[in-house]
Amino acid sequence: MRNQKSKINNQKIIKIAITGGKGGTGKSTIAILFANKLVKEIEKVASSATRRGGGVILCDCDVECPNDYLLLGQKLKKPQKKVYAEFPKLNKTKCKKCGLCAKTCRNNAIFQPPGKYPVFIKDLCSGCGACWIVCPHGAIEPEKEEVGQIFVNKIKDNFWLITGSAKPGLEETGPIVSQTKKFALNLAKKNKANYILFDTAPGIHCPVISAILDCDLAYAVTEPTPMGAHDLNLILDLCQKLKVKTKIILNQANLGDKTEIENITKKYKIKIDKEIPYSKKLVKAYSQGKLLNFFI
Amino acid sequence: MKICICTSGPDLNFPIDQVFGRCSYFLIVDKETEEFKVIDNEAREAMRGAGIAASQIVAGEKVEAVIVGKIGPNALTALQQSGIKVISGISGTAKEALDKFKAGKLK
Repeated sequence: MRNQKSKINNQKIIKIAITGGKGGTGKSTIAILFANKLVKEIEKVASSATRRGGGVILCDCDVECPNDYLLLGQKLKKPQKKVYAEFPKLNKTKCKKCGLCAKTCRNNAIFQPPGKYPVFIKDLCSGCGACWIVCPHGAIEPEKEEVGQIFVNKIKDNFWLITGSAKPGLEETGPIVSQTKKFALNLAKKNKANYILFDTAPGIHCPVISAILDCDLAYAVTEPTPMGAHDLNLILDLCQKLKVKTKIILNQANLGDKTEIENITKKYKIKIDKEIPYSKKLVKAYSQGKLLNFFI
Repeated sequence: MKICICTSGPDLNFPIDQVFGRCSYFLIVDKETEEFKVIDNEAREAMRGAGIAASQIVAGEKVEAVIVGKIGPNALTALQQSGIKVISGISGTAKEALDKFKAGKLK
């Protein structure tokens, strides 16, 4: 019900995730090329019509290592927003050393030496809050801490880059992705943008799920290698579970062996939407960190 | 007094496991009688924090020392906070380690 309502409210904003499971297959490159293509299309429409319409937001959801800004020749300056999370803090006057928090923690982030107070191990804590919910003595209090930042770069009048960035070493980055997405959506509404591209992290873990969730379409970018096929299988399975329509982009399509990729496309009944051949021009532009102004 | 030897099998003839958090078994051995209790290390399947989960199991056993190949920083701190001496860098079978420990050769 809630989903339906939000869809009606945002019906003009099309949300597309660029994902793919495997790292290094060209997700960010394709996200930028795609964003550029959409910007150009919008400009064409705008120049022929009286009403200036729309815009594109590229949202870098690879918060552990955002790099779309580098490829767009931008710098991350002052963050527009800070992202906070809550971590447990022990109130020793209330703690009865019952050990329930340590037993409950699924991340093994709480250790209790026999007969002593529990110790919270920050490196392992995801900030899920289970410990302060179960504590029968109210001895664990959530403590706010800055865990990430959101940056905005205006690249053109109708093209924005939003970058989510997590504090290095943070265990759980999914909530930062969610907040970056929320920020991007608000900016899209404010500026009447009609496309948001979410460039996700590799993998199928929490920050990737957060990025794909509630998108209208996902592009799975992969390559014709055994690892590419293996990870494509995982990401298609995930998108199916999240009920997000998925298309496949095969990068460096003329290298390697496509057989395994084709087997997977049959399994999921999804055709390869686009094949991008290996291109020296693209590699060269990428290595120089240049704005890639073409779409193959 | 009892000690904990981390092994890859459920008796003293098995070699010492190289990683504390993800070892197969904890043998809780009585130093004098050499009688032992076998604990299956359920923590080895943990997605993360296996060392802490394993420390929690061992800390509940009232042992004076843990004998193992390698141990991570989290588990080391946790065991030390529990007043347990950690002897790492040990290889060979559990029996050999026990004999050396009894002879005072392990520090």
